[in-house]
Amino acid sequence: MDRRQFLRLAGSVAAGAGVAACSPLYRQLSGLPGPSQAWPSISLADFRGLSRLTYGPLPAERTQILKNGLAAWIEEQLSPAGIQDEGVEWRLRPLDALWLGADSLSSWEAEDVILQLQQGALLRQVYSRRQLLERMVEFWTDHFNITVRKGDGWFLKPADDREVIRAHALGDFGELLWSSAHSPAMLVYLDNQANLKEAPNENYARELLELHTLGVEAGYTQQDVMELARCLTGWTVKRHFWGGQFRFDADLHDPGSKRPLGLQIQPEGQREAERVLQRLAEHPATALRLARKLVRRFVTEQDDGSAAALAKRAALALQKTNGSIAGMLRVVLLDGLAGTQTIWGPKMKRPVDVVASALRLLSADTDGGEALQQALQAMGQPPFQWPTPDGPPDDSPFWSTNLLPRWNFAIALARNEMKGTRLDLPALLGPLAPPDPQAALDTLEELLLGVPLGPAERDSLLAALGEGAGQDPAGLPSLVTAGLLASPAFQWR
Amino acid sequence: MRFAAERRDFFQVLCQCPQHKQAAHYARSSWPAWMPRLAFEPARRGVRGDVLVVVFLRGAADALNIVVPHGEPTYYTNRPTLAIPRPDDRKASENSRAVDLEGFFGLHPAMAPLLPAWQEGHLAVVHACGAPDDSRSHFKAMELMERGLADLGGPASGWINRHLASLDTGNSSPLRAIGFGEAAPRSLRGVIPVSALRSIAEFHLGGEPEIAGMLKGGLAALYSGDDLLAGIGRETLRILETVEQLDPQGYRPESGLPAYPASDFGAALRQVAMLVRADVGLEVAAIDLGGWDTHFAQGASDGLMAGLLADLAGGLSALHADLAGSLNRLTVVVMTEFGRRVQENASLGTDHGHGSLMLLLGGSVEGGRVHGSWPGLSQGQLFGPGDLAVTTDYREVLAEVCRKRLNNPAVDQIFPGFAPGRAGFVR
Repeated sequence: MDRRQFLRLAGSVAAGAGVAACSPLYRQLSGLPGPSQAWPSISLADFRGLSRLTYGPLPAERTQILKNGLAAWIEEQLSPAGIQDEGVEWRLRPLDALWLGADSLSSWEAEDVILQLQQGALLRQVYSRRQLLERMVEFWTDHFNITVRKGDGWFLKPADDREVIRAHALGDFGELLWSSAHSPAMLVYLDNQANLKEAPNENYARELLELHTLGVEAGYTQQDVMELARCLTGWTVKRHFWGGQFRFDADLHDPGSKRPLGLQIQPEGQREAERVLQRLAEHPATALRLARKLVRRFVTEQDDGSAAALAKRAALALQKTNGSIAGMLRVVLLDGLAGTQTIWGPKMKRPVDVVASALRLLSADTDGGEALQQALQAMGQPPFQWPTPDGPPDDSPFWSTNLLPRWNFAIALARNEMKGTRLDLPALLGPLAPPDPQAALDTLEELLLGVPLGPAERDSLLAALGEGAGQDPAGLPSLVTAGLLASPAFQWR
Repeated sequence: MRFAAERRDFFQVLCQCPQHKQAAHYARSSWPAWMPRLAFEPARRGVRGDVLVVVFLRGAADALNIVVPHGEPTYYTNRPTLAIPRPDDRKASENSRAVDLEGFFGLHPAMAPLLPAWQEGHLAVVHACGAPDDSRSHFKAMELMERGLADLGGPASGWINRHLASLDTGNSSPLRAIGFGEAAPRSLRGVIPVSALRSIAEFHLGGEPEIAGMLKGGLAALYSGDDLLAGIGRETLRILETVEQLDPQGYRPESGLPAYPASDFGAALRQVAMLVRADVGLEVAAIDLGGWDTHFAQGASDGLMAGLLADLAGGLSALHADLAGSLNRLTVVVMTEFGRRVQENASLGTDHGHGSLMLLLGGSVEGGRVHGSWPGLSQGQLFGPGDLAVTTDYREVLAEVCRKRLNNPAVDQIFPGFAPGRAGFVR
């Protein structure tokens, strides 16, 4: 069947009244495992590595690791274009907002656009086979944070997500930075469309230096911020008839010469800030800061000698490869996760990790919709809505103080009480009749945690839930699932 | 069992202990060694003090337009559009003028609901107050302020958590310290487990009661370790029990009192009041109020910032009235990470500055006064490229609150590297 036929079939399957009715075909299309598939056991180190690189290690991925090792899997994931991904593409088709430009979207309802953007992100995290790409999309979305709740952000962000973040996530950092600086969504979020020669507004210039590139410890001054703001005057967004496109307005641009960061910038209109962007992208302080963030995101939050040394090596790789994000990431991942002496350290799951890994590892069928987005909001990480430019923190203690919403998500998901999402626990657990608590727990532990609970914990968990078994034996798997999803072990990755 | 034999060996090797029991313990408590553990050092004993409510204005609030130096001519020359008119300015409409406090300073008109508290001596202002940090970076300034430090070396914990850890008031309530919102702020985090909550009325475990009951048992078993996450889990379970005995929906402040604003801030303060009255052991509540980063179209007597101030003043005055009978055991502190530039920018907003202010509200506050030494706004008196200078370190105020209102003399632990000198903000 050729690609067009495949997509047409996929479309009709999706449009069909009961997708579940076409079970085998649907499973093949969506990349879900078949029922009672043996879950291959992998080492704890590999499980942990995969948990960093994916939103939850699926059987197919575990099998690949067993066959070829983690390093080979990483290498494959660093070239996402070579990975077939129709399984997720047909799930995204109903989400028109993902493909439209600002001028079309501006006539939509804001809440519809925002929901589709959020659904798109979650569906890709759960179903895409290009897992490392999705991890990097999340990383750059945080790094170049924009909230859809400010001003026109809601109809500008989809293009930013597509053309800035997704287009360059594993590409060239210089191009990513360039693209972000020219992005209407970013300019509006940080008020640069109001940065005028007679009314300079420093907000974007400041965050460009502090958050996107050099970092506050790199030694630039308040004066540098103001000079860069002057270079960026006139960088604005078309307003006529809901344009939403980047526009350089020479009338608004400060015509003098500027001296940001020791660079003598002659009057050259739009090229002035572009020169500075180039220098910022190539600056060693930028490379080091990005490398540190990547080590923190993928390897360990502990700030010690080994982490610093790894970051240094990764930063050099970025510079040696003239800005290849994959080149820098390769060093971080191969040295940090796949080597024999990894410096892997535990990290608390952020809300997106909790939700995506639960859905993925339990082979849920979901539309990524409202019920899940509300759960993410209650946990404190509604996607695309972090108000401040630093993005949601990558810091375990920060995410540790709000457990109740995670527990409530665990219960609602396990008992199939979330509209638009469905678990099929009997299919997952295979033909076990009558449901044997020990076996159910074993299977689910392996899936969700990769490690056994301690014997004392598992006994008391079974004892606590066992009363329910007497009253409602069929409900026991979902109780056990809820317990495991709410457990401390599932909060870590 | 379907687990790879090599995995068990991995545990054993890592733990260097042959017993399977120990290995399983490692698997369970994966809290990294470098992260905070539950406190086990005996803290100093002391009597519980006031309920402390810390309100953090996120985004660097423009202090000069909150408590307006209407006696300062340079304020007006620097802010032709944004300045709040003098109390006696006939050319301005009456409700746009600053509300005079003591002849030199006045309140933004949207802060008028707090005038009764000022007149009763329950509201104090500390102006030109702030931190030594001059990075003008929100993130760095907030981090330093919440950690109670002047530079990034030093304890990772928050100053409020260090206060809680250094004073044993015999209070084992799970509601001892609460962050309102989806995450507890950094000031509240450290070795003492602290929870965030959004709404007491909604604080319950989902599902039918029998299911919730069974799961609570399971959760208690799962969260039985000695690491901080297990501690937070246990406290969460205890909060669930405590909340069941309250009736948050039924709580109504006495009629005739000003209503709390219908905002998240108002809701948080109403819940604080309820918890205070219910006497469930609340010692500290932390509430964030965002939106103060007014680079653009800040508004003057009306507009963006005026709206934020109406929420702030409306909430605080409702709390003040609601807890009139308990004011002598309440101290509210309002703070922000830094202030904003004296001169308005040409986007009709203000850029990042330096000096800001703190507000204190409570029955034992030295109220009806503007504390601190006013540095002035003329050319030679400004800090950096045109900012209000800092003449009172924020830690002076907080240290005195800790000592006198919270009965905690351990300010050297709460604010390491800081030696308080000033006093006189609270009794």
